[in-house]
Amino acid sequence: MNIEELNRQTEMMYSGHSACPGCAAALTVRFMTRALGPNLTVVITASCWSIIAAVPPLSTLKNPILHCPFPSAGAVGGGLRRGLNKKGHHDTTLAVLAGDGGTFDIGLQALSGAAQRNEDYIFVCYDNEAYMNTGVQTSSATPIGARTSTAPYPMFKEGQKKDIMKIMAAHKVPYAATATVAYPDDMHRKFKKAKEIKGFRFFHILSPCPPGWGTESSDTIYLSRLAVTSGFFPLYEIEDGVRWNMNMPLQDKRTPLKDYLGAQKRFARMEKERIEALQQEVDLDWECLLENVRKTEKGKPQHKTE
Amino acid sequence: MPFELISGTQAAAIAAQRVGVDLVAAYPITPQTAVVETLANFAARGELDGDFVSVESEYSALATCNGASAAGARVFTATASHGLAYMHEMIHWCGGARFPIVMANVNRAIGAPWVLDPDQGDSLSQRDTGWMQIYCSGAQEVLDTVIQAFSLSEELLLPCMVVFDGFYISHTYEPVDVPEKSRVRQFIGPPTFQPQVKPGQTSNLHGLTTGDNQQLLVKKRHEDMLKAPELFKSINERFAQFFGRRYETVFSEIPAGAKTVIMAAGSTAETVRWHLPELAGAGMLQLRMFRPFPAERIRRIIEDHGIERVIVVDRNCSPGMGGIFAQELKNAVYEMDRPPAVHDMILAGGIDLTVAKLKDALRAWPENERAGEKWGVELE
Amino acid sequence: MSPELKEDTYIYAVGNRATTVNKTGEWRFLTPEKTGRISPCRSDCLLDGEVPRWLEAVKKEQWAEAWEIMKNYNPFPALTGHVCFHPCTENCNRGQLDREIDIPAVEKAIGEWRLENYKKPKTPKEVKARVAVVGSGPAGLSCAFYLAEAGYRVTVIERSELPGGMLALGIPEYRLPRRILRQELAILKDLGIEFKTGCSVGEDVSLADLDREFERVFLATGAWVSRKADIKGEESGDVYDALDFLGRVNTGQPPKLKDPVIVIGGGNAAVDSVRTALRMNGINHVSLVYRRSRAEMPAFPPEVEAAENEGVEMIFNALPREIETDAQAVKAVVFDYSKTNRDGLVVDSSRTFKKGCGTVIMALGQKQDLSILEEAEQPFSLFAGGDLVTGPATVTEAIKAGRVAAEGIRAQLEGLPVPALSLGEEEPVKFEELNLAARFDLQLLDRQPEPEDEADRCLGCGTCNSCGICYLFCPDLAVNLSDGNYEINLDFCKGCGICATECPARALAMEGGL
Repeated sequence: MNIEELNRQTEMMYSGHSACPGCAAALTVRFMTRALGPNLTVVITASCWSIIAAVPPLSTLKNPILHCPFPSAGAVGGGLRRGLNKKGHHDTTLAVLAGDGGTFDIGLQALSGAAQRNEDYIFVCYDNEAYMNTGVQTSSATPIGARTSTAPYPMFKEGQKKDIMKIMAAHKVPYAATATVAYPDDMHRKFKKAKEIKGFRFFHILSPCPPGWGTESSDTIYLSRLAVTSGFFPLYEIEDGVRWNMNMPLQDKRTPLKDYLGAQKRFARMEKERIEALQQEVDLDWECLLENVRKTEKGKPQHKTE
Repeated sequence: MPFELISGTQAAAIAAQRVGVDLVAAYPITPQTAVVETLANFAARGELDGDFVSVESEYSALATCNGASAAGARVFTATASHGLAYMHEMIHWCGGARFPIVMANVNRAIGAPWVLDPDQGDSLSQRDTGWMQIYCSGAQEVLDTVIQAFSLSEELLLPCMVVFDGFYISHTYEPVDVPEKSRVRQFIGPPTFQPQVKPGQTSNLHGLTTGDNQQLLVKKRHEDMLKAPELFKSINERFAQFFGRRYETVFSEIPAGAKTVIMAAGSTAETVRWHLPELAGAGMLQLRMFRPFPAERIRRIIEDHGIERVIVVDRNCSPGMGGIFAQELKNAVYEMDRPPAVHDMILAGGIDLTVAKLKDALRAWPENERAGEKWGVELE
Repeated sequence: MSPELKEDTYIYAVGNRATTVNKTGEWRFLTPEKTGRISPCRSDCLLDGEVPRWLEAVKKEQWAEAWEIMKNYNPFPALTGHVCFHPCTENCNRGQLDREIDIPAVEKAIGEWRLENYKKPKTPKEVKARVAVVGSGPAGLSCAFYLAEAGYRVTVIERSELPGGMLALGIPEYRLPRRILRQELAILKDLGIEFKTGCSVGEDVSLADLDREFERVFLATGAWVSRKADIKGEESGDVYDALDFLGRVNTGQPPKLKDPVIVIGGGNAAVDSVRTALRMNGINHVSLVYRRSRAEMPAFPPEVEAAENEGVEMIFNALPREIETDAQAVKAVVFDYSKTNRDGLVVDSSRTFKKGCGTVIMALGQKQDLSILEEAEQPFSLFAGGDLVTGPATVTEAIKAGRVAAEGIRAQLEGLPVPALSLGEEEPVKFEELNLAARFDLQLLDRQPEPEDEADRCLGCGTCNSCGICYLFCPDLAVNLSDGNYEINLDFCKGCGICATECPARALAMEGGL
């Protein structure tokens, strides 16, 4: 889709919400609600969007929103889907919106259970790589080396970022995809595609956060683009856990990771060895991804979920 | 009307099936597992109307029920002990969100250490969450109460817990009058409460709310729950017409001239009632509805019969304070001109209530002692 | 901001009113504003035209709007589309991506639209003063147009029978279809401009006369005096002056040329002459001979290339010494080797060659005739512009001169601000500055056949061209879209700056304050 076509989509979000200036999460949900259409219901678990959704009697979205406690997103989504079906609303799309906390950490159990049961909804994780709503505390989605309020300088986040996409692939969900705000056409296409698939669908969306990452509010799109072009956050899809499609074949033209890291204060004063280690990890993951894509292109394992 | 030999857990499951639930999401835990298994059997035979979902934890069980209830579906789940504790956050949430969920809780002590005996502390520790609680003393009561709970809950838009003892009720087989499904469906039709999630209608449900507005919501919850005893009465009138049985929020059997009553909830109440003739002219109070606490009813009974002493059977203990039923009773009788003495018999840990213990309890307290506690191990 | 919940109305928290009651524009301390930076095309345009703006209008198929924008700087796009050598395309930033925008093609399309859709203005303007324009070349016609639009009664005085100057008499048909000039002139007449042809100032009427009769006078007589080579044989009847030759062809009285033809000179007139000669019946071989090198040719390179492709023989570094005649008929031309060095043109007579021919056309350049000014008895204010002032230049520059003169006249007579002569020294937006990464839908494309599609390839370069990226990327939906135009909604804009950073054209910048 080109820009003009994207801009003709019906907006389901209002201005006047309280997201930080330059918030990618706000933009993500704007894109999501456009793509998934007006007959969409959204479950929101504890995250920045619990606040962005506004204080009753106001609402930031035209779609109905059901807020739920932090660990419960995966399960509440499953229950709501079944309840809606019982009431005859089979055509209503259901999206469950969670941050990285509600997906990778405290929400992981419910996510895993729902994925394993192949609950029929779209789980959308907007990942700003820390518990941003409560003040930038470390999560298991925080990249290694980043400073947070619970790992302040000279500390840093130890341990790699969890590969949530591989976790979802291990659950053999029908559809899992990465996306980010700098590529709205890619995100739109994927949401539209996911809408037509039955079963558990998962989105991992990188959502740059100006206050949490220590970046200018104007650089959100730029950073999200750089995350992709450096290979730190590749754009790809996994179908049924076994078929991998690359959406941005960059081959060897990836931009250096240190450009991406250098633009963010949370990586400030990062030791050279650590930058190299991180670059190596990104390279390894990239190779692994390419390998999976190559295997898919050759043989296409054909198992399907029931 | 045929009688079936069923356990308390089976009774709970059958009641849910008869009522016609849209969704059951549950996780097994001793001594509740038979609830889940019985419902699974119904599902396997195609006799369960709704979805049966084996979730991966109790928290997710209640969360799934929460989601379905938001869409206007009738839901049921069951748990016990650690499972109930695990879903604690969700229990609060459902109370505040006003979802009419019915949950069976089988009393079992919460560790540490691991204990299987029926301490009531698990359900009692949830007493502040905005759920109604009704304690049953036998399988028939469990079955009937679960059916009534749906009515009560969907009318008041407050969730309801049906509580019964582990093993004594859950695993004991009793002859139970099991009503026909059609009859139950006549008594309680399909769910008619308003769904909160209406596709196409903007609604930011349970979003961030200020303290001022929250006060209004809590006040409403409190006031609505206080309507339960009246409603319970009218539901039981109707129930009696359909099924020939009726229940009260507080059941009392007090012989003339009795100055002491023994108050109990759960299977212990049954024990007291059976052995009442041997208990030296004491009366008994079975506390069935615990939330809302039927304070007015209890005060009237005490006043009408001139009761001077209540011995409370507490199969629980709140460390640092004592038995919870005793505490609640003291609170209820405080405003009376001549409140009775309240003696607390603590059977925490879930130990057995024997006739010997009851007789010893009646002897144990001095005449003028206003309050006091005796632990089960100290009695015969 | 504590919203009210009425008792007994709510039993749980729910909201359904739009958040638009919160004017988050109050958060702002920086505001996105249009930068108004200059694009390379506009910077290079000899008319200072707002090229990206009229390209955008064409992209949106808003032809009337496109004409309005064009008109401010260029009244004759159908003409200039053909004859301007379009320096605007040289530094077009799109050229560094795939291919520069075919600005001439879109300009021509606007021009044709203008000609087809011209309607006489309904309400006649209140007549201001009378102005005389001397010379009906591009400078004179341009000045007349702007003055007529502003309500002046203009009389254009032209010594030839045919108005148009170089447009009519100097530029060949294959470069400028006659019909276009005809249509433009018809419009000018319809706008109330009076044309007095066959009237020469200096001979038929004096400057003093004009000064008496008109409020102001604009002199735009151009540069029509042809230079002579002053060599033997130049008086032969087969030796023609280029302008004279072209004029006779354009007025339908072409001279009978004898094959082969040699044209001497390196300017546009020379190239026009070779290409015109080649198109004549009976002419099979045409050569162009220039005294300096190819790189030094003042003629427009694409024209030179076109001439070569048509088969014109190009000879460089040759200066004519003598034209050999036989009984007044030209037989050959003798050339010496010549070249440019530090000291100027050096000629080496030892290296000569002779080239046989039947016709020689001299295109050695023109000069202005300034004698017209000697007449002035008393000082009076005059406006002058075009080739008369600059020496031989281009049609485009003449058109600008006409506009500036009109504005100058108006400034004097109406007390309006004095017109700027140029846009200033501002650096145009460079290709590296553009944020093309934001245009994820950008495809490498060749020149598009339809003007709307070709205009769509314009990147804006400092001017908003309504690509929609600001609207797409605003997390607060604080950009309004109406009628295809994007405006920042200051009620809700939080000043995050994403729009300014991502704007592919660099048309937005964050400025301090609300």
